[in-house]
Amino acid sequence: MMSFSGWLRSNSQHYLLIAAHEQVAKRHGTAGPRAPRGLTDLFWLRIFAPVYRALPWPLRHRVLKAMPGSHRKTWAPPPRTRGPAV
Amino acid sequence: MVDGPNAFSYVGFSASRAKRGSALPRRTVIVGGGAAGLGSAGGVKAADPDADVVVYTQYEDVAYSPCGIPYVHGGEIDDFQKLFLAGKQAYVDAGIDVRYNTEVTAIDKARASITVAGEGEGEGEVRYDQLIIATGFDYADPGVPGGDLDGLYYVKNIREAMEWDKVLDTVKQAVVVEASPLGLEMVTSLAHRGIETHLIDPNPWALAEMADPDIMAPVEESWREMGVTLHFNTSLEAFLGEGKLRAVKTSAGELPADLAVVCTHKTPNNALAAAAGLKIGSTGGIIVDERMATSADGVFAAGDCTEIPHGFTGVPLQGLTGSHAYAQGKVAGTNAGGGSRAYRAVYVPWGTVAGKWVIGGASFGETTATALGIPHVVAQADGISRARYYPGVHKIKVKLIAEPGTLRLIGAQMVGGGEGIKERADFLAMAVKFGFTLHDLSTMENVYSPPIGALNEPIVVAATNGVNALAKTKRG
Repeated sequence: MMSFSGWLRSNSQHYLLIAAHEQVAKRHGTAGPRAPRGLTDLFWLRIFAPVYRALPWPLRHRVLKAMPGSHRKTWAPPPRTRGPAV
Repeated sequence: MVDGPNAFSYVGFSASRAKRGSALPRRTVIVGGGAAGLGSAGGVKAADPDADVVVYTQYEDVAYSPCGIPYVHGGEIDDFQKLFLAGKQAYVDAGIDVRYNTEVTAIDKARASITVAGEGEGEGEVRYDQLIIATGFDYADPGVPGGDLDGLYYVKNIREAMEWDKVLDTVKQAVVVEASPLGLEMVTSLAHRGIETHLIDPNPWALAEMADPDIMAPVEESWREMGVTLHFNTSLEAFLGEGKLRAVKTSAGELPADLAVVCTHKTPNNALAAAAGLKIGSTGGIIVDERMATSADGVFAAGDCTEIPHGFTGVPLQGLTGSHAYAQGKVAGTNAGGGSRAYRAVYVPWGTVAGKWVIGGASFGETTATALGIPHVVAQADGISRARYYPGVHKIKVKLIAEPGTLRLIGAQMVGGGEGIKERADFLAMAVKFGFTLHDLSTMENVYSPPIGALNEPIVVAATNGVNALAKTKRG
């Protein structure tokens, strides 16, 4: 059975992408996704996605990082430039 | 306990080791014979040449390139044999014991053993000192009626692909389900093969889960030129037929079809790991650390069955490329063999042939950055792949995605006529990783030689356009 975090990731990823398709299509003047159908679509696209977008990125990022996953294990920090080679 | 399939060689090893006064060799069992599994086997042997390494695979072969299958179907490669990288003897010579046509049905962490199905020699309970899980992926179940009909092709196994290739000679009309990376390749291959091809996808453009519409527009146009019919915003509803596929039912009507190529997204094949109680992440992939170690002592995992954090956001990703799987396998194998090696968070350079174009990128595009809600600006340019007068020159569109303010690069996407996309994607992934900005890229030096590179590198032009546009906005 899918975990809550798995369910949340799967649905949020799916609907945030559709919401992004709407925005990006509008910017590019191309065909967007089809209109939402049913209450589930309406909830995720018209309530969840706008609320998610309204939160500042640092807060969203903190929530994403709080989810269980490989990112919470030990990983080397991003590389930094080390100064001149010679 | 029934000892493992390698009991005799195990005794042999211990005898030779006893002469040298050393301990018994460590036994590393690897479940899965794909890129991650064989990368792991090589990693173990590199770290400990005396290690006892056993690989279990459910297939008849290992060491071939499944990613090459669409190109044999399309006729670019004339023989499936060319996809084999090494013969079975190569693994024997390397001291890697590959068990073909075997099915591992359980992992017992407490007993440090696996169960191999069947009653024959080498089956039953097999002990390990270290276990590496490299069970790969499955295609997501389309979840519609008719999934058991003949005529549904899931591209994965080379022997099956050889049989399907004969079937393709008889196919008049095919439907490709979903414009995933594999879907793009299969649409192109079937069109090359002269088969009337339809693509259905629930999204508004191809590869919409990672690519931007302006990157995919030339690809879609080229497919139309090749005779492909595209059905976007169209969902699969059922496979229709009596025993054999007759048509594909979609939200936009029925499409007659002799063949449906199911190219749904990759899901981690993790039933074994989950049943053994290994921790699974939100993507469904096995949780690992930089050593590719799982939540269980002595158990590592690599490839499409794991999830790996994105280097920029930390958000875990699952279902990367064959090169990622192989590199992860090397790391898992090295550590299982007693060495020390770390894998790094990923920035995901990618690329593929699609229609008459090559597309590629690194990290985020405009669509994925928008979906995650990452603030960004876009810098872009249309350039050329070599001197404008040199035969074979192609257009290249470069889009750079950067953080507002710092203009630090967070991703890129490109579409071009055939050359240089892969190298630019690799470079741009490193540019994201090392925190390059649009200013850095706008002052980048580039190779100029008419047959291989234009005076103005498209990345430099895109970055310069971005810097200038933002300066203008500030002034305005």
